[in-house]
Amino acid sequence: MLLAIPIIVMLVSALTSSSDLYLHLWQSVLPNYIINTVLLGAYVVVLTLFFGVISAGLIVHTNIIGKKILRWLLVLPLAMPAYIVAYLYTDLFDYAGFVQIALRDTFHWQSPQDYWFFDIRSLFGAACVISLVLFPYVYLLTRTAFEQQNQNLLRAGRLLGLSPTQNFIKVILPLARPALGISASLVLMETLADFATVQYFAVNTLTTAIYDTWLGYGDLSSANALASVLMLFIFIVVFFEQKARSSQSQQKSMSNNQQQLIILSTRQQFLACTFCWFLAIAGFLLPFSLLINMVFEYSTSEQFFKLLASALNSIELALYAATITVLIALTLALFQRFSYDINKTWPLQISSFGYAIPGTVLAMAMLATFGPVDHSVNDIAIYLQLTEPGLIFSGTIFVLVFAFVVRFAAIANGAISSGLKQIPSSIDLAPASLGVGLKTSLTKIHLPLLKSSILGAWLLVFVEAMKELPAVLLLRPFNFETLSTQVYQLISDEMLEQGALGAILIVLFGLFPIIWLNSSNEKIAKTQHREQDFAAH
Amino acid sequence: MLKKTKETPLYFLLLLLLILSFSALLSFNSFASNAVNVYSYRQPFLVEPLFEKFTQKTGIKVNIVFAKKGMAERLAREGKYSPADVLLTTDISRLIELQDKQLLQPFDSSVIKKFVPSQYRAQNNQWFALTTRVRNIYSSKRLGDIELNYLDLADEKYRGRICSRSGKHPYNVALVSAMISEYGESKTLTWLEKFKANLARKPQGNDRSQVQAIHQNLCDLSLGNSYYFGKMLKDKKQKKWADGVNINFPNQANRGSHVNISGMALAKYAPNKKNAHALMEFLVSKPAQQLYAETNMEYPVRTDVKPSALVASWGDFKADTLSLETIAKNRKIALKLLDKAQFDL
Amino acid sequence: MPLISISNLSVTLQKNTILSDVNLTLASGDIIGLVGPSGCGKTTLLNTIAGFIEQSQGQIQLNDFGVINTITTEQFISPERRNIGMIFQDYALFPHLTVAKNICFGIAKQSNAAQKTQLITLLKLLKLDDLADRYPHQLSGGQQQRVAIARALAPKPALLLLDEPFSNIDARLRNDLMIELRSLLKELKITAIFVTHNKDEVFSFGDKIAVMTEGKILQTGTPAEVCKNPNSFQVADFLQLGAWLPITTIESNNLPSHEQGATISYHSALGLIKSTLSSPKTKTFSENKLVLLVKPQHLSLHANHDANAIVKNITITEQGYHYQLSSICTQNDLAFTALSFYSNQALHLEQKIAIKLNIDDLVIFAMADTHSLITST
Repeated sequence: MLLAIPIIVMLVSALTSSSDLYLHLWQSVLPNYIINTVLLGAYVVVLTLFFGVISAGLIVHTNIIGKKILRWLLVLPLAMPAYIVAYLYTDLFDYAGFVQIALRDTFHWQSPQDYWFFDIRSLFGAACVISLVLFPYVYLLTRTAFEQQNQNLLRAGRLLGLSPTQNFIKVILPLARPALGISASLVLMETLADFATVQYFAVNTLTTAIYDTWLGYGDLSSANALASVLMLFIFIVVFFEQKARSSQSQQKSMSNNQQQLIILSTRQQFLACTFCWFLAIAGFLLPFSLLINMVFEYSTSEQFFKLLASALNSIELALYAATITVLIALTLALFQRFSYDINKTWPLQISSFGYAIPGTVLAMAMLATFGPVDHSVNDIAIYLQLTEPGLIFSGTIFVLVFAFVVRFAAIANGAISSGLKQIPSSIDLAPASLGVGLKTSLTKIHLPLLKSSILGAWLLVFVEAMKELPAVLLLRPFNFETLSTQVYQLISDEMLEQGALGAILIVLFGLFPIIWLNSSNEKIAKTQHREQDFAAH
Repeated sequence: MLKKTKETPLYFLLLLLLILSFSALLSFNSFASNAVNVYSYRQPFLVEPLFEKFTQKTGIKVNIVFAKKGMAERLAREGKYSPADVLLTTDISRLIELQDKQLLQPFDSSVIKKFVPSQYRAQNNQWFALTTRVRNIYSSKRLGDIELNYLDLADEKYRGRICSRSGKHPYNVALVSAMISEYGESKTLTWLEKFKANLARKPQGNDRSQVQAIHQNLCDLSLGNSYYFGKMLKDKKQKKWADGVNINFPNQANRGSHVNISGMALAKYAPNKKNAHALMEFLVSKPAQQLYAETNMEYPVRTDVKPSALVASWGDFKADTLSLETIAKNRKIALKLLDKAQFDL
Repeated sequence: MPLISISNLSVTLQKNTILSDVNLTLASGDIIGLVGPSGCGKTTLLNTIAGFIEQSQGQIQLNDFGVINTITTEQFISPERRNIGMIFQDYALFPHLTVAKNICFGIAKQSNAAQKTQLITLLKLLKLDDLADRYPHQLSGGQQQRVAIARALAPKPALLLLDEPFSNIDARLRNDLMIELRSLLKELKITAIFVTHNKDEVFSFGDKIAVMTEGKILQTGTPAEVCKNPNSFQVADFLQLGAWLPITTIESNNLPSHEQGATISYHSALGLIKSTLSSPKTKTFSENKLVLLVKPQHLSLHANHDANAIVKNITITEQGYHYQLSSICTQNDLAFTALSFYSNQALHLEQKIAIKLNIDDLVIFAMADTHSLITST
């Protein structure tokens, strides 16, 4: 498959590396980096699951106050690029940050020896902030899973002697396991591939080693080898997770009788609200208002018009990326569905691993892939005595879009194949029995049924593509600025204040699709409910 | 009817994509004519005013793409079809890396030879400096006026009173390389280990945030490039941080302060070589050098252009005359020492 | 002491009254079937007993092996503490657990040895011996149901609730399964309430029947009692006890109609019908237009008589030919349609025949009662 080519190129390059660099790295810093990587991955997965599952559980299964607002507010951190939140929080909680200054002023402390304050620039600090931005993945997928759970299963659990809490742990959670598995692996991949964010926290991970090896020691193939190790690590985790639940089939039931809400006591209600509002505030409202504040202090209308061109570029890229990624994911998923062959699952699997490759490493792989292609095209053109077309692949936004497609295939694949799983397989056969061909059955039955999944996948990729930075930075053509590159340039010079407007635009462009996605999901849920009501009467 | 409405958006979308793709490709090809293409490690907003002046003067359009990482790989992959004409870097090691990968070609310019001192350009004419920047030590005003050497960063009396950005940052790597050529590997490693032991916190942030930390009394000393001091004094929020520190030129009593450069080079397969030459010569011209000095607070590479008044007010200094090639050559060893000292951990 | 007694139970959900003033008592070991048209509230009643829905009025008393649990609006007992087992329409087996783990789910607090003994007993009892390590999706519908039963029985519930237990079972197997399950419940002396919309299931599975409509229980009793003496038109109609023959009372000035032993005569399209008011239970009606319940066995061919019916439909059954008859004259008040009648004699469509009515216990309701139902359905 085309999507796997950059990954294969990377792996091949890794095989050719033979350097004494490993020994040096192993003897000096690598063990530490590996421990950090594993810890960071573990912390983030645990924290996002903790945040996401509990909030989803509270929203779906209890009578928490303000449910309607919280329901979509909890999705919004998704629109926040992690590197911006990281910058804002390190700035805020640092020794020189506003919070500690205020504390020192209040209590007349003089130096760091006078008091204890948690160190935001630590592994745990990084894990917390990354989790705050990434938990909506878990929240969204888990919430959907909870809402689609067969209520009778939960009732059965209660009647077999489980209290609501025990029921949550022993029945609801295990049933939601596919959603937990998929979202946790997305979070893991995103975390391990993210260099920029972790760097703000002065945490060194395997990704640091990849960059050091490549940029510092100038050894790209060894860097690729390290990146492959990183991918292998993720692959192993994902593989075991999938294997563990391979024998279980998840029956999805549409019979969604009215939810049995758990009535919270006043104290529980208070705790639940605090929890959810904390997530909404820390993940979105606080950073967003900090940005808005900066915009009012530093931004001018002139800046805004300058940014518009970049915004158009961002949108153009995101549009391409989202559309193509979804089309490919759709083709792959349908291919897998109709081939009825276990071995045919591998294209979908392999194409998903692009998400785990750090953006810059992926960019290198793209150049390694399309550079030679461009060369042959030009060579042929010269041979045919045509004008040289130039670098039509690696020098245009083609390569950017391709990189995005490779990187975000995992998201689209996940959303679409889980949507497809909910269509009973009997529907595949029904059209044939009515004398309708495969093509018509796809366009008339599967696609309309998948509409919400397709839309969901499209929007998620769109949002991610708006935020994506390292690959854009390296692969873009001349004079091609996107919002994220603009913001990054200012951030990297510690001048986010100037870039706040751009950051806000990224967030807003991400926000609209997310709100739209959420409301359209609700609409679908509502129509389903209505249909069931009709059926019941 | 139903079928039509369902399928139309899909076809429409594909058509739209096709049209947009072609327009994107066409816009790419329309570059060629009278332009010069720049691959830059420097942030565009720092050099754009200069390019604007250049376009005004010559009518040559400047196309720019900026990235901090991977420019050399991109150039190498593009090979002979690369559109890049010139490259801008922020330190010497990137220039040497480009040279070592044979991505550059020598230029033949009497202007550059005349105005750029020989220590700041390659003998093989493959690269030259545009500006120089000193690796200063900022010290808290609490310490008063003091004389400092880089070796003092390892002095035990500053235990827990020094802040630093990542040791792996090119500016710090270059300094460590210079230390290696001066003192040898094992001594430099000991120095790094003691320096590390003196740090008040794990290396983090950039040069400016170290000054902020001094202002907050988290530490007393930090390393930082010269121009940041000027820039901070001009920023309304950062001025009070900069007001809390003195800028020191280290090693004045002996070999002089470590100096790095921002530089420029001509790409091996530059398609617009003539325009590239024009841009290179323009950037060492007096008005361009003055602009560098005034807006970026860097030291112009031309001896006949004065630094800005603010920069000049910090006084004259003695610069280390160690050759830039040597510094670049020691870069990998420096990185290994930094790893061994576990400086960033 | 009954095992469960429900008194004056009402349930209101989102301002809709789903159940109103329901009373039901069930002795230990009895199996009762709740029947009624869909939407009548029978599943809600089940869910209220299980504790998934809180009642808005009335109380439920549960005898949990000697311990009396009283559930009122003030004192709610959560489902897990009611010791009630339930078998769901879709069985609700946990898809992520094996058969063995599904069955042991409710007895996880017991010792491993105790769990194992219980598991083996149940597997044997329900003929699931070979399936302990399978996952639910690997089982057939009947096997799934047996697992669901085993799972519900494992914690030894005081009361078993079954929601449409046979609706997902192949019609051919259904009867055998019902008989099998019934004897199992009887053997284990389990009290059970089950819900169905199929009256035949109640007749073969239940000891008692409760007919519900619009949130109310209309009649409770043994199937035989209810069939013999349905207390309302709706009950008789829902249970499809027979067809309805319109009749009118003949005014009799001489005889006081409600005296015991008196005879009342009615007009019908099939001639004069006489009835003796044998018991005080027999209702009298103020109005004149009535309907009489006529079962197929009440009808027979009447040789040498004027034709009074016409054959409208013929089907062949194991009991011979099944005919549906209409009256010849369709315009007057006494016209009837769709009287069922079995005979071994071959008739043809539109054939005019004479039939005779032989009926002892008259089940009569006012015509007015039927209207509300007919228009609403």
